[in-house]
Amino acid sequence: MQPLKKAVVFMLPVAVLMTACNRDEENPTPTDDNERITTATLSLTNTAAPTEVVTATIDGIGNAQPNVTNATLNLKVNTTYNGAITLLDKSKTPNVNQTDEIREEANEHLFVYTYTPATSSPASLTVTATDRDTNPSPGPYPIGITTSVRTGTASTGNLNVVLRHQPNTKNGTATPGSSDLDVTFPVVIR
Amino acid sequence: MNWRTYVVGWLVVLVCVGQTERSYAQSPCATTLTSQVLGQDNREPLTGAAVYVRELATGAVADTAGYIRLINICSGTYTLEYQFIGYEKKTIQVTVGTDSLVTLPPVLLKPDNQTLKEVVVTERRSEAQQLLQVQAALSGNSLDATRGQSLGESLKTLPGLYSIQTGPSISKPVIHGLYSNRIVTLNNGVRQEDQQWGTEHAPQIDPFLAARLTVIKGAASIRYGSDAIGGVILVEPKAMPTAPGVGGEVNLVGGTNGRQGTVSGLLEQAFGQKLTGLSWRLQGTLKRVGYTKTPTYYLENSSYRENDFSGTVNYTRRRGGVEVFFSQYNATVGLFTGAQVGSLADFYAAIARPEPLVQPGFSYALGRPYQEVQHNLLKVRAFLHSDRWGTLTATVAQQQNVRREYDFLSFSRITDPELYLKLTTETADLIWEHAPVKTAGGGNFSGSVGLTGLTQGNVRRYLFLIPNYRNYGAGLFAIERYARDRWTIEGGLRYDYRWLRAFFLDESTNRVTSQTHDWDNVTGSLGATYQFSPQLSLAANLSTAWRAPNVSDLYSDGLHQSAVAYERGNPNLNPEQAYNGNIVLTYTGKRLSADVNLYNNLINNYIYLKPDSVPIVRQRGAFPAYSYDQVRATFRGLDATIRYNLTSRLSFTSKTSLLFAYDQTNRDYLVYIPPNRTDNGLRYALTADPETSLRRISGAYISANVLYVARQNRAPAVTQRQENGQLIFTGDFAPPPPAYTLLGAEAGFSWRAGKQLINVILSGSNLLNQVYRDYLDRFRYFADAPGRNIMLKIKVPLSFGQHT
Repeated sequence: MQPLKKAVVFMLPVAVLMTACNRDEENPTPTDDNERITTATLSLTNTAAPTEVVTATIDGIGNAQPNVTNATLNLKVNTTYNGAITLLDKSKTPNVNQTDEIREEANEHLFVYTYTPATSSPASLTVTATDRDTNPSPGPYPIGITTSVRTGTASTGNLNVVLRHQPNTKNGTATPGSSDLDVTFPVVIR
Repeated sequence: MNWRTYVVGWLVVLVCVGQTERSYAQSPCATTLTSQVLGQDNREPLTGAAVYVRELATGAVADTAGYIRLINICSGTYTLEYQFIGYEKKTIQVTVGTDSLVTLPPVLLKPDNQTLKEVVVTERRSEAQQLLQVQAALSGNSLDATRGQSLGESLKTLPGLYSIQTGPSISKPVIHGLYSNRIVTLNNGVRQEDQQWGTEHAPQIDPFLAARLTVIKGAASIRYGSDAIGGVILVEPKAMPTAPGVGGEVNLVGGTNGRQGTVSGLLEQAFGQKLTGLSWRLQGTLKRVGYTKTPTYYLENSSYRENDFSGTVNYTRRRGGVEVFFSQYNATVGLFTGAQVGSLADFYAAIARPEPLVQPGFSYALGRPYQEVQHNLLKVRAFLHSDRWGTLTATVAQQQNVRREYDFLSFSRITDPELYLKLTTETADLIWEHAPVKTAGGGNFSGSVGLTGLTQGNVRRYLFLIPNYRNYGAGLFAIERYARDRWTIEGGLRYDYRWLRAFFLDESTNRVTSQTHDWDNVTGSLGATYQFSPQLSLAANLSTAWRAPNVSDLYSDGLHQSAVAYERGNPNLNPEQAYNGNIVLTYTGKRLSADVNLYNNLINNYIYLKPDSVPIVRQRGAFPAYSYDQVRATFRGLDATIRYNLTSRLSFTSKTSLLFAYDQTNRDYLVYIPPNRTDNGLRYALTADPETSLRRISGAYISANVLYVARQNRAPAVTQRQENGQLIFTGDFAPPPPAYTLLGAEAGFSWRAGKQLINVILSGSNLLNQVYRDYLDRFRYFADAPGRNIMLKIKVPLSFGQHT
């Protein structure tokens, strides 16, 4: 049976190949997102009493269940706060401060703050950006890393923060571009 | 002259089968025509020379004494074309009366010092030749006319073929409504294994490698294994040179849209004398495309770059041979920025916009988002041939596919990709074709038995979309064919086994877990052809096919940024099982030739990405979510081609494809099914006989065609509703776009500059600059399809001292 013998000879390199393959796949690497934001912190300083600082943090953004135990902003009525937002990537060591990166690319980023009062609560939170980018005329436009936050009457609601990425299209409004971050802080004003 | 006898060996096998297939006995058609073919230089018989009867579309090959026999010829006038490697083609007219034997005076062929004639390509044994399944092929001028386009785009000219696209640069072939893992692509005889599951993962093959693209439409699991539910695409290079000497070819392609430029060249040599049978070839392609323009605006970042090369060394003697082939494909594909979104709201805003927000000018720039893919293939093939035992062929190949997807980064300047997948595949095939067996009744058995094996390992990094895995597959098949008188019958049986283990990392405990699946399946096919007359034949085929769920179907879990989809797999999926039936009626007359193909493909457990109505919320916002689901689906349709010669110079061609797909489980239509279409054209040859020349110009023609693509009315209904302030779509994100009509034109000729031949083709697509969107284009939600494109294709065959 010469063909059979030949077949065996032909199958030899196959057997060699099969045993020679490496096993890299058996050691999966952890997932790694280049631009992950795991933590968003809003910190509001009372302009009238600079020692009075309110911070709220949402941790574990991107997970199925983000940690919102410290996410509520407890604010006073009829008060003006200086606001600052910090975005961190805690999945990397050392932690990466993503706010710094955004500040460097301020000309194509915009933080959009939207307060939605709970049903039957009066609207009583206004957020105004206090920083400006260096976009040419008709710019500059606001960035929103630092803000002025004014509260009104007592109410509850939600403050939604969206980071818009607007390369070459930033015009001061939320419309162009895409969202890089979309988080909501519960707000209690009393 | 060893190579010559080798070629003959192959051809004789083919012709034996071909002749018995076409033979029939009827009194007015009983003439036997014989003719001897000799070389003009030395009056030696040209063993293996081929004759082709234009009117009958049949042919024969000369025996060792140079004699050709054409049997059962009806009375009439015929055009015989004589061809032989290294000799010029000769055409003669013959009138056959009622005599039972017509002997023609010896035909002398002139040695051709110019090039290898196309006979090398058309007469060689194609991978697909033994199958009765419906086939369509692109070669010669029709393939040259598609040069510069991607593989998916090139194949769109065949009836029944379509392409699913992600913008202008990524195009995947669709056969009878099926695509991705349901189509097996054979790159130079090796099963191409790249990340073919994603709709934006185009086949990673340099189309310039191919001298012939063959498509087997319909289930072909027997020969090609699991996955070939939709069909098989064979990318076959030119046969290695056999006549001693150095030759080559240069292809230049320029296109107005995207200001594309492509250069492709090959250089090859066959040795004579002491090294008879040894040959080599080097081939390479460079392609650059800038921003594509729709009729009114440029698509930002739709640039494309490709660098490929390949090399072959072949040694063939009569009793055996060995071939080593290596190819590398590199492509960098820019993705249209206007389709990049960060949330569901952005996605809907982008869909709602009639035009993209950013409309820059032209550029070749290529930035994020983009894909970078590399595919390496190393193949070793060896065969042993004996007249008594037949031919034993072994093929061993290793492929490595690396895919990097770079998403749109908003603030970091990291240079890492978001998705990195490295797939390494080893395949081995052993096929034994037994020598043809003649039966007492004049019948002829031919067949093959094969054993195939595959193993692959996938490694991922960065974001998670599909897990690491290891995969083993093995198959055993037998195909037998019996030809007698007007009948040819072919049957096949195959057993397949698949094993898959996926590896996952639990990031909190840092422990690796794995999940294992295995499947096996038996498939079969039965086909028959009946030749009513030399002009008319009917073929029918019944076959089963299967596809094991692949790792993306089972375990996908992540954001596919370039497809704007969060995809979730289903680990409980069952293998797809297809039952395919088709009938083909072929008529080849003097003026009219037509073929009509009717098919019905029932697929149990058809796996598809089903849009979920509830979006998934991630850091960057909410995304449309899809999960893998399976249903019982039917695909029925018709492909028809009609060619009618109005005069000897003017011909009309009509190609129509109809497809009706249905989800039987949910009693609804399936999403992303190609719409019906018809392509009608006229071609005018400036010279009646392609061989006679107008001074230095020969084979000149002009043609124009009108392609009509209907609106896909058989698509799931698109609904939208508000939920928690979120707009939620079901079915699809936009209704199918309206029907469109595109005008195309082509002109071509061969120009003899001194002794150098130059083939020129000028083609134009979407000449009226029609604004349209295609249903199967992923980017139709965001932007229009490309506008007018004029392409110039120049092919220069080279030869340096080729001897006969």
